[in-house]
Amino acid sequence: MVGAPLLSLAGVEKVWPNGTAALRGVDLTLHAGRVHGLLGANGAGKSTLIKVLAGAIPASGGTIHWRGESVHWTSPRAARAAGVATIYQHIPLVPTLSVVENMLLERAGGWRADRAGRARAAEVAGLLGNPFDLDALVGDLPIGTRQMVAIAQGLMADPALLIMDEPTASLAEHERERVYAVVRLLAAQGHAVLFVSHFLDEILSLTDEVTVLRDGRAVLHAQTATLDEAAIAEAIAGRSVQALERRSRARPLGAIVPTALSVPRRTPGPRVTEQDGRETLGPGVRRGTAGVTIPPEGRYDLTPSDPPALELRDLASPGKLAPTSLTVQSGEIVGIAGMLGSGRSELLHAIFRADPAARGAVLLHGKPIGRTPEEAVAAGIALVPEDRATQGFIAGMSVAENIALPRTGLFQSPEREREAALAAIERLAIKVQGPDAPVGELSGGNAQKVVIAKWLTPDTRLLLLDEPTAGIDIGARTDILRLIRGLADDGLPVLLVSSEFEELIGICDRILVMRDGLVIAEVDPETTDEAALIQRASGNFPSTGMAA
Amino acid sequence: MMQTTDWRAGLGLRKAGIYYALLILLALLAGIAHSRGLPAYLSAQNLGNIAYQASLVGIMGVAMTVMLITGAFDLSVASVAALAAAVLVGLAPSIGFPLAALAAIVTAISVGLFNGAVVQFVGINAFIVTLGTLTAVRGLVLVLTDGRSLMVEQPEVLQQMLAFESTRVPLFWPLLALAVALFAWAAFRHRILIGLAGLVVAGLALLAGRDFAVAAPVVYLALFTALVWAVLRFTVVGRRIYAVGGNAEAARLSGVNVHAYKLGAFILSSAAAGFAGVLFGCRLGAINPTALQGAELTVIASAILGGTSLFGGAGSVLKTVAGALLLFTLTNGFNVLDLGASYQGLIEGVVVIAAAAIYTVGGDRRRKEAAR
Repeated sequence: MVGAPLLSLAGVEKVWPNGTAALRGVDLTLHAGRVHGLLGANGAGKSTLIKVLAGAIPASGGTIHWRGESVHWTSPRAARAAGVATIYQHIPLVPTLSVVENMLLERAGGWRADRAGRARAAEVAGLLGNPFDLDALVGDLPIGTRQMVAIAQGLMADPALLIMDEPTASLAEHERERVYAVVRLLAAQGHAVLFVSHFLDEILSLTDEVTVLRDGRAVLHAQTATLDEAAIAEAIAGRSVQALERRSRARPLGAIVPTALSVPRRTPGPRVTEQDGRETLGPGVRRGTAGVTIPPEGRYDLTPSDPPALELRDLASPGKLAPTSLTVQSGEIVGIAGMLGSGRSELLHAIFRADPAARGAVLLHGKPIGRTPEEAVAAGIALVPEDRATQGFIAGMSVAENIALPRTGLFQSPEREREAALAAIERLAIKVQGPDAPVGELSGGNAQKVVIAKWLTPDTRLLLLDEPTAGIDIGARTDILRLIRGLADDGLPVLLVSSEFEELIGICDRILVMRDGLVIAEVDPETTDEAALIQRASGNFPSTGMAA
Repeated sequence: MMQTTDWRAGLGLRKAGIYYALLILLALLAGIAHSRGLPAYLSAQNLGNIAYQASLVGIMGVAMTVMLITGAFDLSVASVAALAAAVLVGLAPSIGFPLAALAAIVTAISVGLFNGAVVQFVGINAFIVTLGTLTAVRGLVLVLTDGRSLMVEQPEVLQQMLAFESTRVPLFWPLLALAVALFAWAAFRHRILIGLAGLVVAGLALLAGRDFAVAAPVVYLALFTALVWAVLRFTVVGRRIYAVGGNAEAARLSGVNVHAYKLGAFILSSAAAGFAGVLFGCRLGAINPTALQGAELTVIASAILGGTSLFGGAGSVLKTVAGALLLFTLTNGFNVLDLGASYQGLIEGVVVIAAAAIYTVGGDRRRKEAAR
C-alpha cells in the first residue's frame, strides 16, 4: 500500500533491569487502513512490544516514528493523546459500573452525567452495531460482549491506531466473527489495526500484513496473501511443526448405544514422540506410559468394556445441564464441541463433583463417585479447568508445590515432590528455571503445562480437560495435544472440551456436540469437518435427535 | 548451589527484616539504658518479662496468622478471650478450675464456629461478621459480669489457677538442647540459616545464665508456635492452608475441602483466643468486663509486622511471634526507660506502617524484576 507509514519502529530494544532482553531490535511499519497481524510464541516479546507501543514502558533502544515524527511516549496517556488505543487481553473494565461509564472512564471533566460523552458513546456503539445496552452493568455481560465494550472504550477517542492483544482468545466462534467484522470495518474507515493472535486461521483471513516475533526479533515480515499456515507456524516455532495428523482408525460409534467394534488398535508406545525428531524425554521417563496406571479393564482398544471406564446416569444441574447419560471407554478421547455457555464446562464440573447443585450418578469403572471434589479426586478424577489463572494454579506457590497439590497424606515430602516436578518439567518441556520457581512467573503455555502435570500421577483414572490449549502458542499446543493422545493410547479415558474444533477433529475418537446444556449430537471426527461442527454447535444445523 | 542462593535470600531485608528490627531495637534500648546508668536492659529477667507480656498476644497472633493465610480475618479474638476469661472466673468457684477452663475454651470455639459458619455458608465478608461478634461478644461479657469485676475467692481454686499461669519454668537446659538440635539439623541438611538460629538460641541461653526461668505462658506460646509452624512447614495440611488462601478455586478443583480449611481456621483462632483468655483469667483470678479491649488490633499488627499478607496465601508464624515481641519490647522499653508513655502509641503505629511499606515495596520490586 502506498502512503507514508503511520507508525514505524526501527531497531526497538527492551532490556529489563535484570538483564533479560525482551526485544532485540524490532522493525515494524503500520499503515492507515490496514490490518497488521502480530504473532509469536509465548515469551517471544509480543506483550513487551505492545506495552512499548502503548507507552506503558519505555524502550531501551531504537526509534519510534509516529506520523513521520520521532516520539518518546513516557506514559500511556501520551500514547493515547497521540492516537494509539490499546485493548489488552485481560479486559480491564470496572464490573460494577455501567457500559457507558466504563466507556467514559478516561474522560476528564467534572460531572458524572456527561451528555456529550454519552452521545459519543452511543455513536461508537452504533459503529459497532449496538452489541450492548449502554446502561447494562458490565459485570452482568457475557465475556464476548465485554470484549466489545473494551473495543468501544478504545474507540472513544477515535484513535488512528488500535492495538488488539488477542481479542478473540476467550471468545466462542460466533463471538469472534463479531470481532472480525469490527476489525474489517475499522480498517475500511481508515484506522490502522495491530492484531495480535495465536490463531493462524484468523490471521490469514483477517490481516493484510504479518509480522512474526521470535526471541525478541521480527523474523518474518510479509503480505498475508503470500503466506500460508505452515509458513507462519514455521516462523513462529523456528522449526518445522508438523500438524497433528490424525491416523485413520476405526472407532465405535454411538457411545450412548455402544456397538462392539473390536478393531486391533495401535500398540501403545512412544509413536508420537519421535515424529518431529525432538527428544524431550529424560532418562527413565517414557512419554505416554510413565505414571499412568492402566485400569485392569483397559485393553487399549476401544472395545466397550463392562463396566465402562466412565458412565454418567442422568447427570444434571438445574439451569446449566440437562440430564445427560453417556459412557466413555478406557483409552478413548471424547471431544465436547460447543459454544461458550453451551454447558460444556458445566458438564465437566458436574462430573468432577465441583457443582454442588448437580444431581445424578457418576460411575468410574462401575463404582459410584461421592458428591464432593475431594471424593472425585480420591477416586482418580482429574480436572484441568478452563481458566488456569483463577482456577488452575496458585501463582505464589512453586512449580513443585503446585504439582503436589492433589497429594494427600500427612507429611509433605520435599525430595519426592522436587523429583516429580523435575520429571514433569522434562516430560512436558516446561520452560522454567527449576521446580522452585513460582508458577505466577511462567508464561501461559508453561503454566498450563504445570496445571496438567499436577494430574499426571498413577492415581489418575479419568482426565477432564477444559480448553487445555486456550491462549497457548502453537509449539506448546502441539506438545499438550500429543501428551493427551499418548495418555489415551495408554488406556486413560479423556473428556476434552475445546473451542478449537480443528483440535477436536484432530485427536478425538468421537465428538459430542452441546448446545444449551444439552448433548444434541454425536459425530464421527473422520466424517466431519470444522465447518460442519461449528454449524451444529451454533445451531444452524438441524438437530439429529440424538439428544441425551 | 541451590542452598547458597537460598540462605542469602533468607537473610535479606524482606525475609528476615523483622528479626533484624527486633535485634536493633533491643540493642538501642540497651544502649539507652546503659547511657542513663539504669540497670542492664538485656537482663534475663527483663527479656523473660517481655516474652511474658507478649505471650497472650503471641498465642492469638499465631492463630491469626493461620487465619490470614487462608485469606480470612478475625476481629473478634480479644472479645472472645475476655468472654473465655469471664466464663472461667464465673464458673471456677462452682465446678473447679479444670472444668471451668474447658467450658471457657468450648465457649470460645462455639463463637469461632458461628463466625466461620456465617462467613462460609451465608457468604458474608469475614471483616463484617467478626466486627459484629467483636461488639456482640463484648456485650455478652458485660451481661455475664453484670458490668462489674468478677473474682475467684476460694483460695484452693485460686491456687490452681495461679499455678497454671505463674509457675516459672527453668529454661537453661531446654534452650541448650534446642540449640544442639538446631546445630545437628543444620549440619545434617547443610542449612546455614538454621545454624544461625541455633547460634542465637545458644547465645541467649548462655547470656541468661543457668538460673534462667520464664513464666508458663511463654512456654505455652513456644510450644503452640512450634506446633503450628511444623504443621504449616511439613504437612500436607499446611500446604493446603497456603493453597486455600493463595487461590481458593484452584485448591477446590485440586480436591481440597476449602470449606473445612476455612472453618478450621476460625475454630483455631477462637480456640487460641479462648486459651489466651483462660491464661488472662488465671493471671489475676479476676476479670473486669473491659479486659483486653483493643488487643485484637495488637494481634493483627503483630501478624502484619511479621509480613503476613492480608490477601492470603503468605505468612509465617515465627515472624508473627517476632512481631509481637517487637511491639511489646517497644512498650516495655518505654516503661522501663521512662521515655514518655505518650509517644508510645504514635511510635507503634509508625512502626507497623513502616514495616508494611517495606514488605510491599520489596514485593513490588521482586514482582517487577520477575515480570517480562
